[in-house]
Amino acid sequence: MNLFGLFQISGSALAAERLRAEVATSNLANADTTRTAEGGPYRRRVVVFNSQPNSQFRLLLANTLSAGAAPPAGGVRVTQVVEDPSPPQRRYEPGHPDADAAGYVAYPAISPVQEMVDLMGAERAYELNASAVQAAKQMIQQALQILK
Amino acid sequence: MSVVETPLMQVLSRALDLTATRQGLVSQNVANVDTPGYKAQDINFRQELERALGDEEGRQTAPLVRDVPGLIERPDGNNVSLERESLLMAQNQLAFQVDVELLRAEFNRLQLAINGGNGQ
Repeated sequence: MNLFGLFQISGSALAAERLRAEVATSNLANADTTRTAEGGPYRRRVVVFNSQPNSQFRLLLANTLSAGAAPPAGGVRVTQVVEDPSPPQRRYEPGHPDADAAGYVAYPAISPVQEMVDLMGAERAYELNASAVQAAKQMIQQALQILK
Repeated sequence: MSVVETPLMQVLSRALDLTATRQGLVSQNVANVDTPGYKAQDINFRQELERALGDEEGRQTAPLVRDVPGLIERPDGNNVSLERESLLMAQNQLAFQVDVELLRAEFNRLQLAINGGNGQ
């Protein structure tokens, strides 16, 4: 295991968690958006996390260095951002320009509480990964101490 | 065994390698804390160290990585425990530091022997 490889693993998680926080923030910001480019109200977005498969090169390298070895550790990545399929909330607002014939306006089905919880989860996970980076940094610095 | 590589150095360098590998797995587990279906992975440190030292030819074989048993699985199939990983991270860091310090001390002793005890 290359100590510098730890940065890549934790870095991938930092990027993924930040994207998750961005999506949650975007959901919160658009909680009352009734018009979008695709038409209709804004739809809640959700990130899909996937453990990162190791690149062919790294697998090959690991196999060459030691036959029958376990594959090197991998990080995480966001494979896609999907739209929540739940139907929009209908509120009775006859004066609204986007109201239908019956006077109902379709609002995004977004729960601020749910988004805040998601945001907090992303924040904590980001923190933990940042401390993993700190740990890796410290270990590399200590390894350099052998030379002194 | 050569003159400049003592048995203790061999043990310490293998231990450092394994600690780094373990830290990699901890990083991986922490990175995948929100990945559905992911299972926490680890190595058996003691077993791997004994195996690495038992190899007469000094071949470097990669340690066996396996799923951690006994963790509680969440509804999304993920079983990463943040407490376990944080503790292991701290433990790994300290173990690494101890190994490095011991290795430095060993090198210093060797230096002392080379200089015939006349200071460093």
